[in-house]
Amino acid sequence: MKAQPINWWAIFWIVLAALYFFLPMYGTLDFSLRMERNTISLKAYEIVFADPRFWQGFRYSTLMALITIIVSIILFVPTVYWMYLKVPQARPIMEIITILPFVIPTIVYVFGLIRTFSRPPFQLTLHALTTDMLIVAGYVVISMPFMFRAIDVGMRALDVRTLTEAAQSLGSNWFQVLVYVIVPNLRVAILSGALISFATVMGELILASFLVRPALAPYMALLGLTKAYEPAALAIISYALTWVSLGLLQLVSRGGTTRQLTGR
Amino acid sequence: MTHLELSHIRKAFGPAVVVEDFNLAVTQGEFISFLGPSGCGKTTTLRMIAGFELPTAGTITIDSTDLTNTPPNKRNVGMVFQSYALFPNMTVAHNVGYGLKITSKSKTEMMQRVHEMLALIQMEEFAQRYPFQLSGGQQQRVALARALAIRPKLLLLDEPLSALDAKIRLELRHEIRRIQRQLGLTTIYVTHDQEEALSLSDRIVVMSKGKIEQVGTPTEIYNAPATEFVARFVGHINLLPVTVLNPANGVVSLGRQTLRAGRFGQLNGRPVQLAVRPEEINLGAKPDANTLNGEVESVTYLGSIVRIGLRIEHHPLSLDVFNEHTLKLPRISETLAIHFPVDACWLMEKSD
Amino acid sequence: MGRFSSIRVLLCFAVPPRCKGTNVAMSTSPPPRYRNNAWREHPLWNWVGLVPFFLFIFLFLIIPSLNLFTGAFVTNKGLFTLENLSVFRNPLVLKAYMTSLQVSLLTAVIGGLFGFFVAAAVALGHPPRWMRSLIMTFSGLAANFGGVPLAFAFIATLGRTGFVTALLKEVCFAGPDGTQICPFNPYDHGFSLYSLTGLVLAYTYFQFPLMVLTITPALEGMRKEWREAAANLGASTWQYWRDIALPVLTPSILGASILLFGNAFGAYATAQALTGGSIPLVTIFVGQQIRGDVLGNPHEGYAMAIGMVVVMAITIVAYSMLQRQASRWMKV
Repeated sequence: MKAQPINWWAIFWIVLAALYFFLPMYGTLDFSLRMERNTISLKAYEIVFADPRFWQGFRYSTLMALITIIVSIILFVPTVYWMYLKVPQARPIMEIITILPFVIPTIVYVFGLIRTFSRPPFQLTLHALTTDMLIVAGYVVISMPFMFRAIDVGMRALDVRTLTEAAQSLGSNWFQVLVYVIVPNLRVAILSGALISFATVMGELILASFLVRPALAPYMALLGLTKAYEPAALAIISYALTWVSLGLLQLVSRGGTTRQLTGR
Repeated sequence: MTHLELSHIRKAFGPAVVVEDFNLAVTQGEFISFLGPSGCGKTTTLRMIAGFELPTAGTITIDSTDLTNTPPNKRNVGMVFQSYALFPNMTVAHNVGYGLKITSKSKTEMMQRVHEMLALIQMEEFAQRYPFQLSGGQQQRVALARALAIRPKLLLLDEPLSALDAKIRLELRHEIRRIQRQLGLTTIYVTHDQEEALSLSDRIVVMSKGKIEQVGTPTEIYNAPATEFVARFVGHINLLPVTVLNPANGVVSLGRQTLRAGRFGQLNGRPVQLAVRPEEINLGAKPDANTLNGEVESVTYLGSIVRIGLRIEHHPLSLDVFNEHTLKLPRISETLAIHFPVDACWLMEKSD
Repeated sequence: MGRFSSIRVLLCFAVPPRCKGTNVAMSTSPPPRYRNNAWREHPLWNWVGLVPFFLFIFLFLIIPSLNLFTGAFVTNKGLFTLENLSVFRNPLVLKAYMTSLQVSLLTAVIGGLFGFFVAAAVALGHPPRWMRSLIMTFSGLAANFGGVPLAFAFIATLGRTGFVTALLKEVCFAGPDGTQICPFNPYDHGFSLYSLTGLVLAYTYFQFPLMVLTITPALEGMRKEWREAAANLGASTWQYWRDIALPVLTPSILGASILLFGNAFGAYATAQALTGGSIPLVTIFVGQQIRGDVLGNPHEGYAMAIGMVVVMAITIVAYSMLQRQASRWMKV
């Protein structure tokens, strides 16, 4: 309604913030294109894309991310639904549990995982397959705060009890209520949780590197020790990956869910 | 003695004109209400007096000092907001004393004044509470005390009661009037509630679409509305389209029935309507009053009164009768005679 | 069919008024067997649906954490001891904790202040709408960005051959004696990206956006009427900020800064990738302890790791307490 005069202090801080956001990005992009002397080229990208280890890491991380998302959905959606329907008094406990991955730094958590699962009775680190299962479990735990909160926020907007009773009065059983009524109404919430989980897993270094699995981040870290231009190209690729998934998240949730705690 | 004067005030936000040619002179100690529907410019006018908005044109003077361009913190005008706007980080006492702290009054003087103010609003025992520990009504009383503590030249109230429940609203309304009388403080009160305006004010300014429709005492506003807008906005009114038979003595016709209006201005051939309040109309016929016959359409029981809806010559008319124990309620679609005194009705031009 | 009807019966127990219609629909099903369903009335039955979740959490979060915790308080032979806490007297561990606290504090303060100004500019400065959505969107993205790619980005920007370094190097003047002076090369002034300063710069990339995200709601919750009421009582803009705005915002600012502190304290990947572990942060130290027992006693390693959890727990508790204070005020 009112035409405000432009506040130059505000513009100053916003421009400074924008510089902080974009300069490193621009620097990386510029650097990644200068592998060949005195010319702009995509050489660094060609080398990265020709490296089978890159594709292995990419495939592995994507696969792990997808499995993590599926496991998270199967584990958390029924749990949150049940909590809303039957045991709302469980909320405080659930909130404490879901904030634990923030309280326990990932490196400490990995320490605990390795100490627990690299020795009997649950020795999982001997085979690649069982290690991958352990990694997925770890990823599910690490991304739990995002996933759980996204579903929780989505469920809060629904009148779960009335929806359930309505569906039941029309003859649905629990499973049908969950699959045909609750989940479709939670699409946006689940999608935003899934996207942020995806970004988290794709960039995750600690679990994969300490459990020695061929994920993307350890490959990048390794490359960074020996090369100069390829890591810059990889950083741009990784930027693009993260920002596409988180950008989609912004579109999906209109900024609602990312305003929660974020952690590393 | 004119205390506050607004002359030719105009306010535009870009192309939208919110207030147009607003003129008003307020005398010392007067209680003035700005009454109108939302968006009529009443709050904007109040905010210009407080200094939160600058008028696009016109002047505002208090005690003959031009304050039009004075910043709000130099005006010494107290304001009470609809949402209380108490500072959440301060106790009641600190809220009330804040204005005095700013003007660097001595600590003892401040304490004494705060005490005085809390006594005025009868909330001494709440001095050490924080706003979030108070009810809405209590918060608004503290806000009032805070505005009064600085001994303002003028008190401005912006719909102070509309966020409260009905009972508290009534209580606080009386309290505001009591305190205002006690302090003899010139007060501008913005409201969209006609009952509040009628019961509180010395004079009411009725506004619509940025313009003043009428300025007058509650009686004038209610009994002699200047425009159709005022007549319709304040209280209930029946407006019957009539044809003038004799411009000299106010005789008009409604269909085949003839009536006489008590008050009428220059009748210059434009369409007119006969205005009469529902409570002026009585059941039955009476020789030297206006008498009409109509069909009963509805009977609505409202407790102390009963509102009867009639259709007279295809036009609706409602009348209020007291719910006395002798009252025999008419039946729907019964034909009924009604009458009202000639002095109680007047002719009004139809607004476009 | 049998299963459907038993759910309907369950529904009838829970919501009696709804049963009228249901009974009609059930006219062909067998009569409800109340005795069979009575055990479902037990309150514990309500928790059954949460069992898979708790089982998973128990297995993959509680047991590993408890394992570290118990590991910190036992000897090699499995007997209870407080001996392992002596790890906090080890100068290397102490140095690591001090460095971590220092980096976390620095980035919390720098990122917090910078983020606060940016958030204030966005929330109160009436910038053009597109600037506002740009900052909010990128804050959401950058707060989640870290680790290896962030380290590479800073190397490409402020490393020895980085793009900003190169730009600064080229700002040269002719000195009084005819020689070229290039006074802005940061590496001539003792700057190094692979030092603590560099680490703080890199962390700020995700710290200040997190501040923007957490403090903006509080800034937007500042009511316009507070400012007007203050002006009405004679307060200048400065007095308004000193007496009302800053006190009201203090719990939120402190809470957000604490969150930033914890965020930096637990970070590992950025530091590891940027400095290759040359800066002794606790996280780096824990990582080295996992790879090979650098302390010479695994139980001391667990104690060191548990120390981090204690620090983080304190920050989260402080954060939620301040958050509660802030929301109590904001409700008014």
